Amino acid sequence: MKRKGIALLAVPLAALAVVAGAGASRQSAKDVVITGAGSTFVAPLVSVWTPALGSAFGYTIQYSAVGSGAGIAAISARTVDFGASDAPLTPDQFSACNGCVQIPWALAGTAVDVNLPGLVLPRNTNLRLTGEVIAKIYLGEITRWTDPAIEALNPKATIPDLPITVAHRSDNSGTTYNFTDYLSSVSPAWRSQVGRGIGVSWPVGVGANGNSGVAGIVKNTPGAIGYTDTAYALANGLRFAAIENRAGRFIVPSIRNVLAAGDAVKTVPAGNEMHIVNPPRSNPTAYPISTYTYVILPTKSPKAAELRKMVFWALTQGQQAKYTAKLWFVPIPKVVLVAAEKTLKQVELAT
Amino acid sequence: MEAAAASPSALRRTRRLADRLGDDGLRLLTGAAAVLALVLIGGIVAEVVGGAWPAVRRFGLPFVWHGTWNPVFGREAYGARNFVVGTLVTSFGAILLSAPLAVAIGLFLSELAPPAIRAPIAAMVEMLAAVPSVVVGLWGILVLGPFMRSAVEPALQGVLGWIPLFGGTPSQSGVLVAIVVLAMMTIPITASVCRELFLGVPRELREAAVGLGATRWEMVRDVVLHSVRGGVVAGVILGLGRAFGEAIAVTQVIGNNLRSAHLSLFATGNTLASQVAASYQGAGSSLEVSSLVYLALILLAITFAANLAAQRIVHRFDVRQRGGR
Amino acid sequence: MSASQPGAAVSLRAAGRSRRRLRANVAAEASAVAAALIAVGFLAVLVGSVLVRGVHAINLNLFLKGPAVFGQSGGGIAPALVGTLMLVSLATAVALPVGVLVALYASEFAPPRVAGQIRLWLDVLNGFPSIVVGVFVFALAVKTKVPLLGIGHHQSVFAGAFALSIIMLPLVSRTTMEVLALVPAGLREASYALGVSRWRTVLGVVLPSARGGIVTGTTLAVARAAGETAPLLFTCAISGLVVSWNPALSTASIPVTIFQYSESPDRQLNAQAWAAAFVLIAFVLATSLVSRILLERSRRKLGVG
Repeated sequence: MKRKGIALLAVPLAALAVVAGAGASRQSAKDVVITGAGSTFVAPLVSVWTPALGSAFGYTIQYSAVGSGAGIAAISARTVDFGASDAPLTPDQFSACNGCVQIPWALAGTAVDVNLPGLVLPRNTNLRLTGEVIAKIYLGEITRWTDPAIEALNPKATIPDLPITVAHRSDNSGTTYNFTDYLSSVSPAWRSQVGRGIGVSWPVGVGANGNSGVAGIVKNTPGAIGYTDTAYALANGLRFAAIENRAGRFIVPSIRNVLAAGDAVKTVPAGNEMHIVNPPRSNPTAYPISTYTYVILPTKSPKAAELRKMVFWALTQGQQAKYTAKLWFVPIPKVVLVAAEKTLKQVELAT
Repeated sequence: MEAAAASPSALRRTRRLADRLGDDGLRLLTGAAAVLALVLIGGIVAEVVGGAWPAVRRFGLPFVWHGTWNPVFGREAYGARNFVVGTLVTSFGAILLSAPLAVAIGLFLSELAPPAIRAPIAAMVEMLAAVPSVVVGLWGILVLGPFMRSAVEPALQGVLGWIPLFGGTPSQSGVLVAIVVLAMMTIPITASVCRELFLGVPRELREAAVGLGATRWEMVRDVVLHSVRGGVVAGVILGLGRAFGEAIAVTQVIGNNLRSAHLSLFATGNTLASQVAASYQGAGSSLEVSSLVYLALILLAITFAANLAAQRIVHRFDVRQRGGR
Repeated sequence: MSASQPGAAVSLRAAGRSRRRLRANVAAEASAVAAALIAVGFLAVLVGSVLVRGVHAINLNLFLKGPAVFGQSGGGIAPALVGTLMLVSLATAVALPVGVLVALYASEFAPPRVAGQIRLWLDVLNGFPSIVVGVFVFALAVKTKVPLLGIGHHQSVFAGAFALSIIMLPLVSRTTMEVLALVPAGLREASYALGVSRWRTVLGVVLPSARGGIVTGTTLAVARAAGETAPLLFTCAISGLVVSWNPALSTASIPVTIFQYSESPDRQLNAQAWAAAFVLIAFVLATSLVSRILLERSRRKLGVG
């Protein structure tokens, strides 16, 4: 019985030795492990940065896309080396974080995804929506796709008569912050009834975890509408809507259009908090639901040198087209870059 | 036995000392382990109460029946009602579905099935109790949800649509899907308990009933079910306790709605456990964190109550019960 | 019964109330069988789905590679497999000794009323929702500012294993207590009669004869711990793209990976989730099977059942 037991144990142990050998060959003893948590919005970009950082510096990045809220909580408790959030920190969160800085390190648009089988559009156009209409949909006031408000915006399209299934986040999310920031600025009704935040009291809809969860609901539910980082819409073949901006044009979250929104920032405020939703009409091609996303670093950290190298790389090399173009992330404009690098200098080695 | 190098009385003394040390040592060690286990339980309760305390102090008991959950900075208001209602609806709905089926399975496996297939099916049911909840949730999202939306819910609406429970738009995430998922998880537990209880009813009782002219169904109803009804109820309540506490599979399929429950079962909802699982890590303010722990405290309380009730019933009816999971 | 007339044939068919009772019997039996078959059928569909979809997705990449970069194909769940192995091993290393010791105390040393209390509180612990255990360990070991033996203050395999060991403890203890109770009193008495001390008896006579049951309880607990997600969500869920053997860091695990991939729209990730579920169910079913066989064997050895 004993011998049989040992023999039985040997088989799975041998199997795992093979697995371990295969996997561990990538990690050498010199590797520095940097842990991070937060935004699912920026997760695609961090994911393509990770192997590059590994070969550039030998860093192993362990990033967990648990949502901006969880990222802020994690870095505040110093349970990770860096946090990532699309929502800027509130004053309370700054003090809870006990000496943190937020540094914008990526820029992208939040796409409004729709799943409408049977939708027929004129060539090379997208379904047109305005902020008011989206707010009404998310307030539960518009419940079918064939509502006159939507049809009026899309006279040349054939819209299937489906009920609207609203998708939103169930976890606390920076993408939610960006989306509700936009809705609050275009819809007084939304602003008073719901407001803006990383988590809100959604009047209607189905909640899912993470950007990929919302993308999942949209993909699997005919008649669904949801908001995700553009990279998720692209990766899953989701259609996104063209949103009307203040200049009256209907804009999709392409790189050029998001850059136009990002350029709306002429000077970066101290603390780096920037709101670029619903930009003024002087930017006629700006996509109205764009956002900067931040990496949150403690000013005193035992891994300060590595973190500075990592973030500096992200701000410079990491913005190159080979990393950002396919995901429709936008290289950060110069004025923001300068501010970001200046803030980065505040990160020092903890004694 | 040691060679008698020293005098017999000296040997007796050293052996007695070694024995005493060993006995006391083992008693101490095992006692320490028992104390550790009890301290652990106390620690969990203390930690949950402590974490919830700021919210308890701020909202008091009315938290349980307040219906707003608004985490927006500047408008924060928290209340547990929607989650409590959601937990009760999904869990009771689940056992409404699973209890009769589990009793049927128990009867099937102890009375009605041909003896040849009893053992394999019994083994299968027991192993199904071991399926992890995340796997049931995975199946719920990718298989059951679409099936409910495209087939089951429209059918229910067609037949019973006049009841508000079955109005609304069929959806692949919602309370009904969560009820079915929870039922799938509680059936194996309750069925195993029922089967063992039914098998435990003495043959003489059964034979006596049949001898007096009862049909098989009458024998089952009046003798078997009647004599173990306490155990069956306890088994059902154990399943209820499990359903209360299920976080993962529920949060995968229920749609995480923060507002009050709609009347329709097709609509999205939320439960105490699923809200904690979804929001605890990312809570934006310390008030939100302690409100979530307050939810966990309420969950702990009702699960404890269910387990206690099950144990009481077992004691009262004095039924031999096999290690309830 | 029809009235009998001298010479008339007596019908043996039931009439009136008897017929109704017989009909009720058939109806009840039929519905019970139908209900049972429906329920078992549903459960079989669940396992069947996992088996069918999981088998489709199994390939060598799955076991050798880590997750692919966003949007690319060909990733695997190697870090999760390693992570679950570490978590379950560490959890068992804690829960097994402590569980056995608690059971020994309750059955050998404690007065009956205390033993009853211990049994009661272990059942209470067993009934705690696992999400609450996760919250507890998070607050204690992850958030705490004082590093606990170097394990505190961040998510780690240690923290996750601690949470899993809390889940495993009542299972190991209860099964051990049951098996210890089955050890014949005569065996203990014989040992004492030969002059063997209490502690030698417990460790050398009682415990070995309960060995089978202990292994059973442990395998059941291992099967349960391998599939638990909620305790790990807050204590060991941050992971990278490569296999990590460092228990001071957090790592991926099979149930958390399934959870994360299940909501994804990426068909590839869904397929990996099915494959991971397949591996998990295969493991759970195998351990359940093994534990049942061992239980039968130990019962037979003790002359029960």
